[in-house]
Amino acid sequence: MKRLQISLRILAILFVITIAWIARAHAVDKLPIDYDEDDYLRASQEYTHLIRASNWLGFQEANYRPEHPPLAKILMGFSLLSAPEEELTPDAPTTAQPNKNLPVDLVKPARTLNAVFGLLTVALLAFLDPLAGLTLGLHTFTIKYVSQIMLEALPALTSLVTVLAYLQSKKQKSKTSWLAASAIFLGLTAASKYLYCVVAFAILTDWFLESKRQNGLGNFYKQVIFWGILALVIFFAADPYLWPNPIQRLKESVFYHAAYSSGAAEVQNAGYPFWQPFAWITMSPAMWSKDAFFIAPDFFITVFAFLGLAGLWKKERVYVLWLGFAFLFLLFWPTKWPQYIVIFTVPLSLSASLGIQQTWQSAMDRFKDRKTHKVVFAKKESRRAVPWLVPGLIAFALLTVFPLLFQFAVSTTDFNSSSIRDGLNGGIWNAVWGGLTGQAESTEMAITTHPNRVNFVGLSSYPDVFIFVSGRGTLFFDIFWTILSVSLQGFLGVSVALLLWQRGLRLGKFWQTLFILPWAIPEMIGVLMWLNIFSPETGWLALAVRSFGANIPFGFLNGWESTSSLWIVIFLIPAIWYGFPFMMLAASAGLKMIPQEVYDAAMMDGADTVQTFRYITWPLLLPLLLPAIIVRGIFAFNQFYLFQTFYYRDATLATLSYNIFNPTGWDITGQFAVSAAINIITVLILIVFVYLFNRWSKADEGVTYA
Amino acid sequence: MRKISFFRQLGTQILLACIGLFVILPIWATMRLAFDGSLKSRPTEFRFFPKEWSTTAFMQVLEKPYQSVDFEVLLKNSLTVSLSAAFIAIILGMSLAYAFARFRFPGRQFGLFAILLTAFLPPVAFMTPLYILLTMLKIRTTLMALVIVYAAFGMPFCIWNMRAAFQSIPKEVEEAAFLDGAGDFKTFLYITLPLAMPSIVVAGLISFLMAYSEFAIGWLFVEKADTVTLAMSIYAMVQSGNAQPWSYLGSLAIIMSIPVVILFILFQRTLLERLMFGETA
Repeated sequence: MKRLQISLRILAILFVITIAWIARAHAVDKLPIDYDEDDYLRASQEYTHLIRASNWLGFQEANYRPEHPPLAKILMGFSLLSAPEEELTPDAPTTAQPNKNLPVDLVKPARTLNAVFGLLTVALLAFLDPLAGLTLGLHTFTIKYVSQIMLEALPALTSLVTVLAYLQSKKQKSKTSWLAASAIFLGLTAASKYLYCVVAFAILTDWFLESKRQNGLGNFYKQVIFWGILALVIFFAADPYLWPNPIQRLKESVFYHAAYSSGAAEVQNAGYPFWQPFAWITMSPAMWSKDAFFIAPDFFITVFAFLGLAGLWKKERVYVLWLGFAFLFLLFWPTKWPQYIVIFTVPLSLSASLGIQQTWQSAMDRFKDRKTHKVVFAKKESRRAVPWLVPGLIAFALLTVFPLLFQFAVSTTDFNSSSIRDGLNGGIWNAVWGGLTGQAESTEMAITTHPNRVNFVGLSSYPDVFIFVSGRGTLFFDIFWTILSVSLQGFLGVSVALLLWQRGLRLGKFWQTLFILPWAIPEMIGVLMWLNIFSPETGWLALAVRSFGANIPFGFLNGWESTSSLWIVIFLIPAIWYGFPFMMLAASAGLKMIPQEVYDAAMMDGADTVQTFRYITWPLLLPLLLPAIIVRGIFAFNQFYLFQTFYYRDATLATLSYNIFNPTGWDITGQFAVSAAINIITVLILIVFVYLFNRWSKADEGVTYA
Repeated sequence: MRKISFFRQLGTQILLACIGLFVILPIWATMRLAFDGSLKSRPTEFRFFPKEWSTTAFMQVLEKPYQSVDFEVLLKNSLTVSLSAAFIAIILGMSLAYAFARFRFPGRQFGLFAILLTAFLPPVAFMTPLYILLTMLKIRTTLMALVIVYAAFGMPFCIWNMRAAFQSIPKEVEEAAFLDGAGDFKTFLYITLPLAMPSIVVAGLISFLMAYSEFAIGWLFVEKADTVTLAMSIYAMVQSGNAQPWSYLGSLAIIMSIPVVILFILFQRTLLERLMFGETA
């Protein structure tokens, strides 16, 4: 039995390694040359040249792009030894477009070396947890940046080894050798790319907490100093460029990053909002180079990682700390390049693996439950239901179900405004029927083309549409928006309800009636009212700033349209305004249902206001609020009029679908089939919402029907 | 709980006043536009109060708010479309709602899930297929098409809410009628329906309001000025930018909101319950 398990595990690991290698080798071949690849190729070529000439002393002076330490570049230099000597890649500023003319016989070995490092990371992770290995093996952003001439692959590997060695030291009796190993790899990480050293913060925090728990803080400091010094020594040893003038050169390379992040033109022009790292992990580089990847599961990996976080914390805290520190750093660091997320895709994969396992487990449990509770239907009752069901079902089917099915059919074609004549004269039916019966070949569809006859594309459009909506940032923004706006509405709504609930409050009825106003005003008129305030140039705020200068309250919001981080604030203000009354009413209704006795008891026990809220009001109120939260959540997810009126036309799936559909719209227009596919994706996401709604509310049928 | 102290009372009132300010701010900014007779197009300077108090904008809007279209026509279109849509959603959905509230039959769980799911879908999810289907039927640009579209938006929501309303009526009441010899249909018509009427009216009101304030999807179903509704015209005024005094825009917004605001304040409790899909006690 045990032996079987072990062989199965080995098989799984081998499988994961194979998959990961296929994905990486494919990416090495197919990825177009990207930004920075020419820079690092030039750096590596310099080292190759030195190695060929056996000029080892030259290492002290060579380090093209000295802001990054040289270790990864040196190793790539070794990988080029097998290739013929080529002319040095020309020097170009960091703002330059990618150099498309790099010699293939150099690109290939350098990329392959990185891919091997990437594969080793996957293999290590697979030994720990095969599913996490598979997740990392298929994570497209990771694949991209470890299969190009970038500096990510090596430090991603060494930072994982750093953590694993540290974890071994926690388990083993003889800590020293593992700690030393951890320090050595931390030093190597630092010598490849500084950013990856965030693992050190995770390790130190975990180490500190663990030592504190065991009352061994004295020992902790001693060990940490040893660990840190060893890491520094290794870093220095692996960075020959520092040897001639350590302090000055280290200072230069570190300060370069601070200056770059706040001053470089390309960072400014990219104009990414502060939350961009969040957005990257919901996207996939397949949006830029579709051919380089087989599948693009990044979004789903992120979702499962979110679900698995709590479990991972219980299992091994240090990974969550790693994820957390890396994330916090990227949120605050002004440079938001996508490759930076590779610093945390390892813990992300571990968390996703746990999330997948937990979801699977709970699905299985529910499935088993279902089998034990079989409902028996009375035949007589079913028969009585028929005359009631038939008319309603016909109407429901005609007005609701049929349009949705038709929509699904449209989504399997490439129907658009150019093929409208063909489509309306039976072209849709012909295409779908032909496709289903196999008479028509299914063709590739592209989101921006307008063929003038309807073709069957089958389900092949779905991955493309999914990559399109996530790559545009719409999927991310929609979810981010839902969470932010509902929590803020809930916060204000509950706060106001609590204020109004105080005994002996005067004017309570008046305030409540006043606060209902935004809820009563139709959404679209409320939005117009806010547009009248925030509209660029002509709004109240802009006019006020023009009259009184930018120092008036909220004056900093003027000019929001050109600062991406401020957009969301401008949208949140109307959303809170419109949504908080509903939450307030729901919370007030809930508060009235909490029996007074509970509070009398709490007061006798001497609980103060905060304690009473924390331990009594909130836990009793939350279940009553959940339906309201979900209803508002769905509303926010589907939010349309707000963004449509403010001209943010790909904010949510609903807005994007409308504007892609609209034949006289903006950017991409009249793509009926793409719009249909987006709507079907919305349906699939809302199924999850409805499932949650059913689970969390008493609407669950088994309970109310009696 | 004790009554609150004077300082707490004061602090609370100040906090509430701040929130009140936040609530009033955009409404006031609109009022200031609506009552300003000096506006020729968009406002060009910041003012807290109108420059010239006047109600001419209201008068103008009540006559011809947008280009040469009469207010009466717009209102008539709005009411026809919204009332018919709500009426269709209620009447056609009623029997289904009752079946789901009272009987057990195979597929019931799945049906409930489907209704709730469709009630949660954004209107856009129905717009795409209905636009194509109604174009095929060659009725896309009629008022009837708008009625069908808005009825489709509202029906799942109405079914779900009527079901909740029927379910909240004790079964015993019906059983008594049943024992007296009334059939299913009679019991429904004379006992259940009258009892559930208030909730049904509110459910209808909500789908009425959805149609009443919808503009973006509606525009795709319009070609001639005679099928434009009030909500569409207000959006058209925004789109047309500076061609008209913005006081028209402000006053139309206020005129459109007043009846709705009154309804909401009167029915707040029931509306809340219905909008939470029958989830509050």
